[in-house]
Amino acid sequence: MGRYMFKRMLVGFLALFVLVTVSFFLTRIMPGSPFQSGNVSEQVLSSLEKEYGLDKPAAGQYVVYLGNLLHGDFGMSYKKPGVSVAEVIGRAWPVTAVLGFLAILLAAALGTAAGIWQAVTDKKAVKGGIFLGTMLGAGVPNFAVALLLDLLFGVKLKLLPIAGLSGAASYVLPVVSLALYPASIIARMIHHTLGDELGRGYVALARAKGLGRRRILLTHVLKNAWLPILNYIGPAAAFLLTGSFVVESIFTIPGLGREFVTSIGNRDYTLILGLTVFMGIVVIGINIITDILGAWLDPRIRRTCR
Amino acid sequence: MGLLRIRDLNVQFHDGQFHDGQKGQEAVRHLSFDAAPGEIVGIVGESGSGKSTAMQAVLGLLPDRAEIVCGGMWIGDADITPPLPGESRKDYERKMDAVRGNKIAMVFQNPQTSLNPTVKIGRQIAETIRLHSHCSRSYARKRAAELLDMAGVHDGESQMGKYPFELSGGMCQRVGIAIALSCEPELLIADEPTTALDATVQKQMLELFRRIVQETGTAVLFVSHDLGVIASLCDRVLVMHDGTLAEEGSVEDVFYNPRHVYTKTLLARAKELQKLSACRGGKKKLLEVSHVSRCFTGTGGPGRQAAAEVVRDVTFHIQKGETFGLVGESGCGKSTLARMVTGILAPTRGAVLYEGEALSVRPGKGNRRVQMVFQNPYTSLNPRMTVRDMLEEPLILNMDVTEQERREKVDSMLKLVGLDPDDAQKYPRAFSGGERQRIGIARALILEPGLLVCDEPVSALDLPIQEQILEFLEELQSSRKITCLFISHDLNVVKRISSRIGVMYAGCIVETGSTKEVYNDPWHPYTKALLSSVLVPDPVKARRKKGIPRREEQKAEALATEGCPFALRCGYALECCFTDRPKSCRFGGREVACFLYSEQYTGKRSSDYRMTSQI
Repeated sequence: MGRYMFKRMLVGFLALFVLVTVSFFLTRIMPGSPFQSGNVSEQVLSSLEKEYGLDKPAAGQYVVYLGNLLHGDFGMSYKKPGVSVAEVIGRAWPVTAVLGFLAILLAAALGTAAGIWQAVTDKKAVKGGIFLGTMLGAGVPNFAVALLLDLLFGVKLKLLPIAGLSGAASYVLPVVSLALYPASIIARMIHHTLGDELGRGYVALARAKGLGRRRILLTHVLKNAWLPILNYIGPAAAFLLTGSFVVESIFTIPGLGREFVTSIGNRDYTLILGLTVFMGIVVIGINIITDILGAWLDPRIRRTCR
Repeated sequence: MGLLRIRDLNVQFHDGQFHDGQKGQEAVRHLSFDAAPGEIVGIVGESGSGKSTAMQAVLGLLPDRAEIVCGGMWIGDADITPPLPGESRKDYERKMDAVRGNKIAMVFQNPQTSLNPTVKIGRQIAETIRLHSHCSRSYARKRAAELLDMAGVHDGESQMGKYPFELSGGMCQRVGIAIALSCEPELLIADEPTTALDATVQKQMLELFRRIVQETGTAVLFVSHDLGVIASLCDRVLVMHDGTLAEEGSVEDVFYNPRHVYTKTLLARAKELQKLSACRGGKKKLLEVSHVSRCFTGTGGPGRQAAAEVVRDVTFHIQKGETFGLVGESGCGKSTLARMVTGILAPTRGAVLYEGEALSVRPGKGNRRVQMVFQNPYTSLNPRMTVRDMLEEPLILNMDVTEQERREKVDSMLKLVGLDPDDAQKYPRAFSGGERQRIGIARALILEPGLLVCDEPVSALDLPIQEQILEFLEELQSSRKITCLFISHDLNVVKRISSRIGVMYAGCIVETGSTKEVYNDPWHPYTKALLSSVLVPDPVKARRKKGIPRREEQKAEALATEGCPFALRCGYALECCFTDRPKSCRFGGREVACFLYSEQYTGKRSSDYRMTSQI
């Protein structure tokens, strides 16, 4: 297992390096410059570019940037005077991470519960209702969900705050609108895998042992049914933890997704790169965590990966 | 008075949609029987005869779409009659939770899938104990270790921490039996418990069942399609046919004095299988396999494993016109060898010579002179291709024929395998298992190969269908004089069809010779063990048959040893067996790789020495 993890890390670092390289040159290819705006004269622009080292060839800039990065230095933002990229991340990520984490938990819990219910219930109405709900949840895009929720609970019913993050209640709407899509996907997958697992031989044996249905489901089947879900939940978590621009914009939440999109508009080279690298680290980290979780749940992986 | 009494059990399946008057499929009709304490009752019948359904109905394990109408069912004094369709199942389920696993326990067919793959076996056993007796966790663990010991798993304490995939099939079935025995049930229902196991392991399993009945006095309902198994184990037999009880009686009565027509045909068919093959080979060598080995390196996964040698230094030849049978238990390298013979895999060492030339193993340049029939006709045919497409494909790839010729060839081939030329338009799903295997054979034969390799061609099929396919292959042998390499784990099947056989164990061929000689007088200890585990459908003979001395069951770790691969399991192993690899000794038409037949054991021999069995 240890060796395997080491290998995964190594591949992860390699991927990060490729990511940095590609995104560095992509930002330089983009037309425009961080300091270009309507009222900046040619002279000021070139002196500013000279000050920041942007007049040098891209390859040279790349080497300098990479060197700094290896020292853990993401550099200063070009557009926010006196603010380092690390500071931006330090401010924006906790907000995004809390939202994303809550959304994943909610999605997993809600999805699993709905999937199980759909699989075991005898009532046609419940089955159909959950099916319809998950279809809608997977089909309606999250900005539409966010706007509708905002309209209903915030504007009409005035139950929850419309925007911003102040107090626990203000987390409800963004978390729900983020979680709805993955929850629907998880519910449908659980429904499917449970159906498969319930037909397996070990369920028949467990019944023959005298175990009740509920106990079979909870102690035997659920764990096995959850294994395929891990493959989905890893990428989903990575997506949520790196921030959703749309949902953050609607609820005016100062998260990572919003920072990222504005930084691209501003041609804030260091911030774009810094955020890209950071998100890369998060994604790779989550994938490794998913692997560990998989090994923890499934002894077959654990025993063969030694 | 019986322990289990069943009166007038009827089971009907419906698929949810009711049509007027039409009532769905009747799986069991008017079944009544008793089982006494300490009695082993065999239930025999071909698949689809309702035997498994009836057993599941006893435990109430049938799905909701099964309608059970039963005149009465009792275990001891307890009434376990299932509720009529439409009645509430609540009381019944509550009652059954105390019966299942406690009074009646069940052992299932496939041991590896009937255990939960992600739960340690110790917990799977202890769970049942704790469920029914409400004892402490540590007591349950202690009892679980005892049960494992009783089921023949040595060192139960340490085995309890293992997961099912770390155990062999036989071991898993022992765990299944330990689970079944955990609450000292009054009745044990075993549904084809040995069908998925190798012959030698099956034999041990049957001994275990017999011992359990002697020690615990539990009654056993033993379901099997294999008359040999029933004959060697059971006291009383129920013969089921089409959901009804065709015949019931003591095992001697049923086997020696069958009254029902169906029983007679069953027995006749089983006897048929005992027949020896009549085919004889020519003199010319068609295929020569010399000192072939094949390694597999662990790929993909982390922590690369050392190369595992799956086939080790195998030498044999096939003569033109003969059928060479290759027999051995699962995992012994039969299929790998078949793949090398067809040129799908290249040997790591050694050579496969076809008419003196090496086979090409380049992909795309498949060797059309050697063709293969695959094991599972359900998965080896592409479901999205019509039969014609499948049969024409090899022709297009390998032969220069016009479209007209292709059509004619396909039609005549379909006729040859007993199908209608009109069937060519159909897709594989339109055919039954036996017909699909015929298509598989047609696909192999259409290139007029010199050698046909059949890798377990009948093991996925039902017994009567097996019989048909074997008969068809026999016909081909006599009419077309095909040369065939026939691979199977089933000794009866191999014996039936081949003129010479090779016995494989752990990647090595341990004995070759003409079928008749090997069967009548096996030399190698493994061949002997294998043959002694063949069960004949004759109660008296089956009981008289003794096993040979053997050591405890071991997973194929033998591969790792330097010496004879069988030494670990062999009751006759000498000291040299563990250190050196026995060379193949040749006596007339027979070859055996065992030190008991080597000169260092038997002494210097003159050239006309007549070897006899040393064990």
